[in-house]
Amino acid sequence: MDLYFIVFAIMAVGAGLFTITAKDALPSALGLLTVFIALSALYLHLHAPLIAIFQVSIYAGAILVLVVFVIMLLITPDEELETSQKNMSYRILGAFLGAYLIALLAIGTKGVKDLIHQQTLPDGFGHPGMIGSLFFKEYLLHFEVASVLLLVALVAAIYLAKKNI
Amino acid sequence: MVDWQIDLIKVIFIWVWALLIAVVMTWVERRASAMMQDRLGPNRAGPFGLLQPLADGIKLFTKEDIIPEKARKILFVLGPPLFALPAFSAYAVVPFGDKIVLGGKEIILQVSDVNIGFLYVLALGAIGVYGMVIGGWASNSKYSILGGLRATAQLISYEVPMGLALLTIVLLYGTFSLREMVLLQQGTFLGFLPNWGIFKQPLGFIIFLVAAYAEANRVPFDLPECESELVTGYHTEYGSMRLGLYLFGEYVNLGTLAAITVCLFFGGWSLPYVDMSKFLGPVSYGIASFMVFFLKQAFFLFLFVWVRWTVPRFRYDQLMGLGWKALIPLGLVNLFVTALLVQLTI
Repeated sequence: MDLYFIVFAIMAVGAGLFTITAKDALPSALGLLTVFIALSALYLHLHAPLIAIFQVSIYAGAILVLVVFVIMLLITPDEELETSQKNMSYRILGAFLGAYLIALLAIGTKGVKDLIHQQTLPDGFGHPGMIGSLFFKEYLLHFEVASVLLLVALVAAIYLAKKNI
Repeated sequence: MVDWQIDLIKVIFIWVWALLIAVVMTWVERRASAMMQDRLGPNRAGPFGLLQPLADGIKLFTKEDIIPEKARKILFVLGPPLFALPAFSAYAVVPFGDKIVLGGKEIILQVSDVNIGFLYVLALGAIGVYGMVIGGWASNSKYSILGGLRATAQLISYEVPMGLALLTIVLLYGTFSLREMVLLQQGTFLGFLPNWGIFKQPLGFIIFLVAAYAEANRVPFDLPECESELVTGYHTEYGSMRLGLYLFGEYVNLGTLAAITVCLFFGGWSLPYVDMSKFLGPVSYGIASFMVFFLKQAFFLFLFVWVRWTVPRFRYDQLMGLGWKALIPLGLVNLFVTALLVQLTI
């Protein structure tokens, strides 16, 4: 295990835990920001600079800014986050789903041992041009499905915002 | 010299250069505003008041550092550095000259020529807003929180047209590297114009410039500060050097934006019509290319000041209207037309 990975992995997990446990809204969002930055550092380590920079510019630079905007608009610094639902069944459901997710991840890590070995990267790996040609040649269907999904979300958002279209 | 020493020198050079620009800009801003308003401006400290920034610095450092009692202490302290650091870091990918040959070794005048250079600048520009938001949130003041809120909304709105304008540039040059973009702008366009981005993308340039002013929170888009309504917005409660860091970060930001503008639209370090490398020695060519780059950057820095003291501030709804109803549709049309033209000409 290399030190670089360990440092940023601990940073990501720690910040993630802080994000879900913090009672203050804005520090919680900043925890998420730290997670994104740690993840992008890990992507850099995996020779994927484009993904790393997208992680920062899209997730941290656009989506999280939107989240922060909503926090600033609706919550004042004095308020603390509280669960609106003190419902027991929700909590049991949440615990169950969490355990299920951990189990899934545990099953996933079983195969990791076979993947970890030194590998020579193909020429131009992680280069923007290479990723672009992969998108439009080999994975065109996946790409288009993702864009249709985004379009659906866009239409839904417009429908919600404008009742009388 | 070993490679890491060269890198270190380049990092230190660019750091000092960024600082120096910010320092001189505070003087230029005050003198130029005075000139435009038929006043004298600060002229007591040193010749032409050139030592005024130094005096300001000493003043800011020696002032009492006050943290409001009900402020969130940790966040309050964290805000200014989080604002200033991304601004400095963005300089790392700016090509501030061509190359210089020292002792038979060719040195590229850029800290790091990464192939995603300009996405990196965009990403850091977006990160800078967290400094303002944290400052606004932590100050425990209504003015501050409104300033922070405005900063986020403004950033999201103007990130989109800026991205659209930059996409057309990527389409045009087919690369993300700022250095390659500059190299592609040499020669002439249509026989008589310099082969600069502005002549190929005039609309893209205007959209980019407007969005850049909004991202840097400069008048006419300085709504997060907006003295007439919000005192000074997100940094109302700040004083001493913490305030200094906010102001400084803003000027460093301006320097970065001016440098990017020069790289994308005005041919970077190259002179139009003249190839300097032909009749200058390897060392003097390096210095000359840096000087050319600096002069172009200085013009855009002055433009920031010029606009600030000429154009009145927008109202907030006008700002949002301009972003969403004018710049984004224009940007989309521009992108579509450019894509079509690029496709037809290849």
